[in-house]
Parts: sequence; structure tokens; C-alpha cells
Amino acid sequence: MLEGAEFYFNVDHGYLEGLVRGCKASLLTQQDYINLVQCETLEDVKIHLQTTDYGNFLANQTNPLTVSKIDTEMRKKLCREFEYFRNHSLEPLSTFFTYMTCSYMIDNVILLMNGALQKKPVKEILVKCHPLGRFTEMEAVNIAETPSDLFKAVLVETPLAPFFQDCMSENTFDELNIELLRNKLYKSYLEAFYKFCKNHGDVTGEIMCPILEFEADRRAFIITLNSFGTELSKEDRETLYPTCGKLYPEGLRLLAQAEDFDQMRRVADHYGVYKPLFEAVGDGSGGKTLEDVFYEREVQMNVLAFNRQFHYGVFYAYTKLKEQEMRNIVWIAECISQRHRTKINSYIPIL
Amino acid sequence: MGSMFRGEEVVLVQFFLPTSAAYSCVSQLGELGLAEFRDLNASVSAFQRRFVGDVRRCEELEKTFMFLQEEVRRAGLVLPPPEGRLLAPPPRDLLRIQEETDRLARELRDVRGNQQSLRAQLHQLQLHSAVLGQGHHLPLAAAPMDGLLERSPLLQPPGGPHQDLRVNFVAGAVKPTKAAALERLLWRACRGFLIASFRETEQQLEDPVTGEPATWMTFLISYWGEQIGQKIRKITDCFHCHVFPFVEQEEGRLGTLQQLQQQSLELQEVLGETERFLSQVLGRVQQLLPPWQVQIRKMKAVYLVLNQCSMSATHKCLIAEGWCASSDLPTLQQVLQDSSSEAGVSAVVHRIPCREMPPTLIRTNRFTAGFQGIVDAYGVGRYQEVNPAPYTIITFPFLFAVMFGDVGHGLLMFLFALAMVLAENRPAVKAAQNEIWQTFFSGRYLLLLMGLFSVYTGFIYNECFSRATTIFPSGWSVAAMATQSGWSDAFLAEHPLLTLDPAVSGVFLGPYPFGIDPVWSLAVNHLTFLNSFKMKMSIILGVTHMTFGVVLGVFNHVHFGQWHRLLLETLPELIFLLGLFGYLVFLVIYKWLCCSATSAASAPSLLIHFINMFLFSHSPTNQSLFPGQEGVQSALVVLALATVPVLLLGTPLFLRWQHRRSLRPTGRQPEEDKSGILDSSDASVAGWGSDEEKVGCLGDREEAEFVLSEVLMHQAIHTIEFCLGCISNTASYLRLWALSLAHAQLSEVLWAMVMRVGLRMGHELGVAAVVLVPIFAAFAGLTVAILLVMEGLSAFLHALRLHWVEFQNKFYLGSGYKLSPFTFAEED
Repeated sequence: MLEGAEFYFNVDHGYLEGLVRGCKASLLTQQDYINLVQCETLEDVKIHLQTTDYGNFLANQTNPLTVSKIDTEMRKKLCREFEYFRNHSLEPLSTFFTYMTCSYMIDNVILLMNGALQKKPVKEILVKCHPLGRFTEMEAVNIAETPSDLFKAVLVETPLAPFFQDCMSENTFDELNIELLRNKLYKSYLEAFYKFCKNHGDVTGEIMCPILEFEADRRAFIITLNSFGTELSKEDRETLYPTCGKLYPEGLRLLAQAEDFDQMRRVADHYGVYKPLFEAVGDGSGGKTLEDVFYEREVQMNVLAFNRQFHYGVFYAYTKLKEQEMRNIVWIAECISQRHRTKINSYIPIL
Repeated sequence: MGSMFRGEEVVLVQFFLPTSAAYSCVSQLGELGLAEFRDLNASVSAFQRRFVGDVRRCEELEKTFMFLQEEVRRAGLVLPPPEGRLLAPPPRDLLRIQEETDRLARELRDVRGNQQSLRAQLHQLQLHSAVLGQGHHLPLAAAPMDGLLERSPLLQPPGGPHQDLRVNFVAGAVKPTKAAALERLLWRACRGFLIASFRETEQQLEDPVTGEPATWMTFLISYWGEQIGQKIRKITDCFHCHVFPFVEQEEGRLGTLQQLQQQSLELQEVLGETERFLSQVLGRVQQLLPPWQVQIRKMKAVYLVLNQCSMSATHKCLIAEGWCASSDLPTLQQVLQDSSSEAGVSAVVHRIPCREMPPTLIRTNRFTAGFQGIVDAYGVGRYQEVNPAPYTIITFPFLFAVMFGDVGHGLLMFLFALAMVLAENRPAVKAAQNEIWQTFFSGRYLLLLMGLFSVYTGFIYNECFSRATTIFPSGWSVAAMATQSGWSDAFLAEHPLLTLDPAVSGVFLGPYPFGIDPVWSLAVNHLTFLNSFKMKMSIILGVTHMTFGVVLGVFNHVHFGQWHRLLLETLPELIFLLGLFGYLVFLVIYKWLCCSATSAASAPSLLIHFINMFLFSHSPTNQSLFPGQEGVQSALVVLALATVPVLLLGTPLFLRWQHRRSLRPTGRQPEEDKSGILDSSDASVAGWGSDEEKVGCLGDREEAEFVLSEVLMHQAIHTIEFCLGCISNTASYLRLWALSLAHAQLSEVLWAMVMRVGLRMGHELGVAAVVLVPIFAAFAGLTVAILLVMEGLSAFLHALRLHWVEFQNKFYLGSGYKLSPFTFAEED
């Protein structure tokens, strides 16, 4: 890209940026959360959401209202907005959007294959798939038995194809395999996305690279955490780490050797960014989980993305923020419907 | 009309509504639309309010209504607008309506569901027969396949001999958009061990859900091997294909085809029956739905208002608060009594004191609404502030007309507006949705007056489509000039321009009775003359307009009891304005009256005089207008400048003094307190409004005392704005001159460039007639487009500015808010 993109950014993307900023302004406020937490039933939640930007999105739902209905409708709403953005976008923003959907597509593929492994009907699992990651060939993934099968038959035409380069193998699928496949796909996806943003440069690069770096490091931490006590070898573990983060390369090497949470924490202590996050994690009994802390940090970064203009990061940030908001609403709704009010306040506030 | 001068008295009232009658009372109030309710439960969230259950039921009903409405719309029918006046139904009717709606909805859903499934079946049958029908061609497609089949064993790896080389078929249909992807995926997944043929259906099939015609791709896949068959089935499933059994023998296929056709015929009959029943149900919906919709909407509105009420301590009645015009109070009382008579306990309304600023209520009719709209667009007046709208009714069209003065154009505008006014009751005109048309239509009375005034100023300027008219004989005599100065024929032939000298006796007989003498339209110095005249006229109009604005402020001060402002603000302002620019107006008029044609050569220049006035100097070449002029001028300037500090410091110092005084006499408090009580009780008997204003301004004063610097700041801003404004605003009124000049010149140009050219062309009768038709069309078109619409809009804009900025900022704060009563009436 040429320098000074702000001069002509608005020609192509000004409309969408305006839209997304308007959408961002309609995220639920602190006051909304306070009101939501006070709700007694899901009907109350619905009434309260009606006064926000969600409007009558639940109007056509038949009673009784369930959390999953709310979730599906919210997803649909986000999906509509996203589709609108995508349909009105020009290059290179549309490529950016494609990259954004890839992560959902990976999740969907993995979900479907897991389902096929457990011999569940496809229809049942399709409902659980994220609408942002839908694609036509999606339902056919269960005909494949090995990763290379999957690639050759099903995914070769999808945007996911390039990420398959280092996970071709003839092993038949089992649960561990699929998980490995997911992480490998994710790794190459993140690296490709990172490269795209880096090459794009400008404000987009400046905003998106830190976000993606954080995303990569978060994955590394989570993979490490989840691999404790499994049969995954340390070498295999290291191959799963995305290499576009701040931890690369020393941190990842150290992380690959880590054997328990404390060692992981020690690795994080070397990094100014992650040290406070690990310090904020409460010990087992109460307090925040590592995941929550990461979510909070992500929200923070995404909110900050709106402080700059003329970049694509706002679209990414908006989608992520909206997702977080949906997670919050679902959390609150679950707490309400299960009458489990003690933890209702541990949603992640969006500031 | 009397209420136009300032907003009506609005009081805060409290309603005590017995719980049993609250609903009917509020519903009656909604029909009348007199009172605006205040939310007494602002701290309670929406779902914790008292009547939230009822609101929710209404919403449920509305949801069902939406479904019914959508069904009616889908069937291509329209809902007729409800007839008659429908009151909000009594609460017990809700149940009945709900039941009936639910029954209707259920019936409709059932029938619709039946119809859907029948259609889906039919669709399936049609697709099946289409697939089979296309299958006829397949033997041809399959012919090369046979060859392939023979060869295929050779291609097979030797390790995997296929015992059953029987070819199997999968036939079905898929949406055309997915066909290509399906074909590719099949090819990739089965590594080419199949032959697929895709064909588009010849006729379009109706989609069972949307009812839209769509083509489908039928396909026939031939494959061998059971594993591949499973894969194919999975893939076709994931592409949502319709797969049908495919009989290999052609006779069997033909038989099935006939059977299918038989079935679809039967199905169509059943479908027709279902559709007849559906239309019956829809007819009932059409009849019942519109009144219900209105009723439930009203009901919901009533419950929303009731949600704003608080409960009395004894739970026997609801307490509501709201604003209402004090003149409507008896009506309100009466209505409440009537509607609560059934309950045994009567609903009560009474006024309560309040410190808040009440909303502004100015009742308008269709004539005044447009003018009030102009004022409100700037800002809704503070409570009981002087309303500029009644003056705007005359000044606005007048200032517009000064810029738009032309008899012909004015007449056209007047006639257009008149047509709208006469047709205003026709439903077609009212219902027009065009936004531009609606704008014009809502300003029809404004346009009417603007047109009328333009005709008047057109006569003054003596211009009709830029041509002068000679209604009266001209006051100038060329003959007298010719005889007096003895112009010979040769002299006349040599000089194209001749001068008429008014000093010569008999040449200037006297002023033209009305407006500009038509002889000026022949003169080359026409423009010079008009410029001088229009410029002076603009100044005179402007200063008058602004002075009027300052004087209107007096009514505000008197009404709000702020007597000090009368002396400390209005008086200095008047002195400043009149001393400087009023004097200029005086000079203009004085010069008009006192300087005659004979002394024209030595006539004094007003501009030099006015500049000298500020410099306290005197130029010897410029003759003074009247004796003692210099002394008067110096005195006026000194006086005007002396008012500035008064204006700047007067009000703040007075307020401070008042504040000090009210703090000091703590010793004598009991007496004062008593008198205060007496005063207030007295006032509340005499008239609430004035008392309330005192309360309001007391509040103001208290606030002001704490931040004296702020008062000073405000006053400083006001002073600077006024003093500088006087100069710049006076200059701003010169736009009257500029715009009127522009209008006159444009119409002149249009006449000279189009009409005159046309009139000069061809002297034979026939040619002239033929040529004049398009020329006149162009002239008329341009007149309307440029002179009426474009110039009209620009003059309108400038008149608007003169009112908002130059006139209203002299007295109008416009910081109030409108009374928006709770009413069921639809907004225009």
C-alpha cells in the first residue's frame, strides 16, 4: 500500500467504517448490564434487550424462550450485519473479511468432524455451527477419512485450502488427530492473517498486528495449559504454537518445556505484557480464570482499535466485541435460567 | 389568536385516579389529548413496573396481529383502514380479542401449513416427474458410458476386481446455483468413478415456500460400487438435493411418470380446495384485524401511561402527574368525573406548585401553523415568552416580498398557493406522499401571503415580469423639457441620450401617486436611482424591525416581573440603537423631505455625515443638514457610548445588591416570612401563572447569586453581541437591497435575452407567431424555474435568516420545550 492511505481510504471504505462505528456505539452499556443482571426471568431479559439496539429480534420466537434461542438470534443478527459489511466491501477489505471468517470455518469443520466421529447426525451439529463460518461444502466433510482426503475432496475450493499445507497426512481421524488438525490449521491461519496485515501496512497493520500477536500468544498459552496431562509430546506441542506472536521464538521454546501452570507462569513473567495478566489470575477457589483474563485483555485491545481511523481493524474489533457481548448475555441468561445468581456478575465488561 | 402572543398558561396537575377507573380515565384523556404525563417511576426499570404484564399481553397480541397482517399481505390483499371512532376497549375485552385472534391465527396457521405441505408435495411430484422426464434423454448420455464401462475393468487396479459391475443410478434435482459445486465435489470425492449428467428443467416450478418460479437442475448420476454410492448419497444430502428412485427400464419409468401425473392432478384439486378455505379465513381477518389493531394500540398506550403513575399509600388509587393548560382544567375535571362515575369514587385532578419550567403550549390553526413552524424551527420558546409568530405572519412575507418584488411573479405564486388552499380538503392532495410536495403544501398559507405581498411590492417597484406599467400618468414631462431647452431635430438626431432636469419648471410635475415612476424604466440611470432608493429603504426597514424586536423584550420583562431589566437593559439598548441607527434613519428621511431638485448640486452626503459623527469631526465641503447638527450628533454618540457600561454592569450589580439585601435582614425574618406566605397565597388565588413565574425567577436569582462571575460573563456576552450586532445586523438588512436588485436584474436579463429577441424576429405575422411559441415556452419555463423557484427559495432563506438572527435574537430565547400531550390522534 502507498503511504498516507487516509487520503483515499474513505473513497472505498468510508461508508462501511461509518457503519461499523455506528454499530459499535450501540453495544450494550454498563447500565444495560446492570439492568440485565437484575432480571428475574428470560422474559425480562428479552424486554430489556428490546430497549437496546437488539430491538425486536426475539419477537418471532415462540414461547418458551430459551437461552439457545437467544443465542441463535443474536448470532443471526451479527451475521446479518457482517454479511452486509462483506457484501458492500471492496478489495482488500473483502479479503480481510474472508480472513475473519476463516477462523469460524475452521471451528465448524472441526465441529462437524467430531460429530461424524461420534456418529451424530449432521443436522444436529449444523445447528451448533457458527453462521459466520458457513460454506456450501461444509456438510460434506464427514465423507473424508483422512486429512488429505478432506483437503482434496472438500476443502480445496474454500479459503481454508492454503492452511492445509503442513497438515496433510494419511492417518485416519481420531479425536486427538482432529484437535491437532484444528490447532495446525489455526496456526497457519493466524500466520497467514498476520502476514496479510503486516503486508498491508498502514494503520491496519499497526492495529491488527498487536491484536493477532496477542491472539497467537493466547493460543500458545491455552494449548500448553490444555496439553498438561495428555499424551501430546512436547515436540508435537511446539509444532502447534503459532509463530507470529511476541513469544516467538524464545518464549515458545520455554513454553514447550513447561510442565505445569507454575512453569508457564514463569515463562510469562519474562514478558511485560503477560505478567500482569497471569498475576490477575485467581487461585482455584475464586477469582478470574486465565481465559477470562485473556478475554478482558482482548476486549481492551479491541476497544482501543476504535481510537484510530482509516483502518480495517475496526471490523475485526467490532465482531470480536459483539461476540464478547453475546457471550456475556448468554452467561447472564444462563445464570438466570439456572437460578445460579452468585456468579452472574462475572461477565466481561466492555468499556 | 390571543393565545398566539405568548404561550398558554400550563400548570402541573396531579391526578388521583381510583384504581378501578384509572384505565377508562386515561383512555378518555388520550382521546382528548390535553395532558402530558410525567414519568413518576423513572428509577424503576421497564420490567418492574406495575402494568408490565398487560403491556406484555398487548405486545403478544400485536405479534399475532403482525403474523396475520403478514399473511394477508402475502396473499396479495390489503387491509382496509378502520372506520369510525374506535375507543380503547375495556380491559375485559382484551381476553375476548386475544381468544379470537388466537383462534384465527391458529386456523390460519393450520390452513397455511396444510397448503404448504400440499405445495411441497406437489413440488416434489413435479420435480420427480421432471427428473424422470429428463431421464428419457439419458440413454443417449449413457451410450458412451457403456463404452467406458467396458473399458473400465482395464483401468481398475488388478488387485480390486469388481464383481458387481452393475451400474447404479442416483437421480435428483438441485438448485442451479449449487449444481457446479456439486458436480466438482462429486468428481473430486469419487475420483471420477461416476458419470453425472446435469440438465436444466424446461419449465419453471413454483417454490413451495416463496411461491416464486425457479428452474432446477436435474441430474442423473451413474456409478458403480456400493462405497461410492454411499458417498454420493452423503454429498447429495449435504447439498440439499431431492433424490428420487430411478427405475432403469424405460417402461417402468413411463409408468411411474403417468402415475405421478395422476397424483399431481389429484393433489392440485385438494390444493385448490385448501386455497378456497384459506381465502375465506383471510377475508375474516381482513374484516376484523384493522379495528383490533387500533384498539390494542390504544390499550397499550394507556397501559404505558399507567406505568408512569405511582401508587397511593392505601393502594386505592393511582397518582399521576402531568402538564396541562390551565384553561383545559375544567374540561379535564369534567371528563375525569364522567369516566369514573361507574367506579363510585370520582377521579380528581388538582394543580400542584412546581419549580420546574413548564412546557410551552401555543395552539395553532392551519393558517398560523406554518408561521409557528418557522419560529419553532429556531427554538421552542421558553414558557410564556413573547411569541414572535404572530408578527412573523406579516413581517416574514413582507421582507420576502421586498426581495421578490414583481407583480407577475408574485401573482403566479399567489395563484399557486391559492390553488393549494382551495384544494386542501381533497383527500388526494392530503394523501400525497411526495416530500417536496408536502413541504410546499404545509407552507401554502405562507406562500399565499408571500405572493400577495410580492404583488404589492411589485407595484411599488413598478415591475411586472421586469416591465414597468403605466397606471397613472407619469410625473415627468418630456415635452416641457423639449420646449424649455429648445431641442431641435438636429440636436435630437445627434444625441441619443437626453437629460430631463427636474429643476426646470414644468418638467417634474410631482411625485408619482404610487411606487416608482414608470419613466425611470426608460432612463439609463434607472439602476443608480433604484439602488439609492432600495438601500435606504433596507436601512429603514431593518432599523424599524430591530427596534420592534427590542420593544417586544419589554413585554417579556413586564410579564416575568423583571422590572430592573426594563431600566438596565431595554432602555440602554433602545438608546444605543435609536441614537446611532435611528438617527441615520432620521437623516435619510430628513434629506428626502428637505433637499429639493434645485439644491441637488450642493446636497450633503449622508455617508460623510455619518462617518464624521463617530469621528466628532466636520468636513467643510459637506454642507450640514440642519443647524446645530454637530452638537446633536456629538450628544447622541456620547449618550450611546454611555449606555454600554450600563448595559454591561447594570444587571449583574443590581442582582448582587438584591442578593445582599435578601441575606441581610435575618433579624426581621418572621415578618417577611409572613408577608411572603400572604403574598403567595394571595397570588395563587389571583392567578397561578404570575406567581409561578415569580417562583421561577426567584429560583433563577438564587442560582445567580452563587456564581456572580457567570452572570457578569453572560451579560458581557450579551452586551458585546448587542452592540456589535447593531452594526452588523443593520448591514445585514442590506441583503434586502441586494436580493431585490438581483431579482430585478435577472428578470430583466431574461426578458431582454429571450422575449425581446423573440419579438424582434420575423416581421410577417405567420413567422412571428410560429417563432413566439417556443420562445414563450422557454421564457415561461425559465421564469418558473429560475425566477420563481430558485429566486424564491433564496429570498425565503434570507427572510428566514433576517427573522431568526436579526429579529429574534433581540428578545427571543427559544430555550423551552413543547407540551406534547398524551393523545391517540395520529400525527400528520
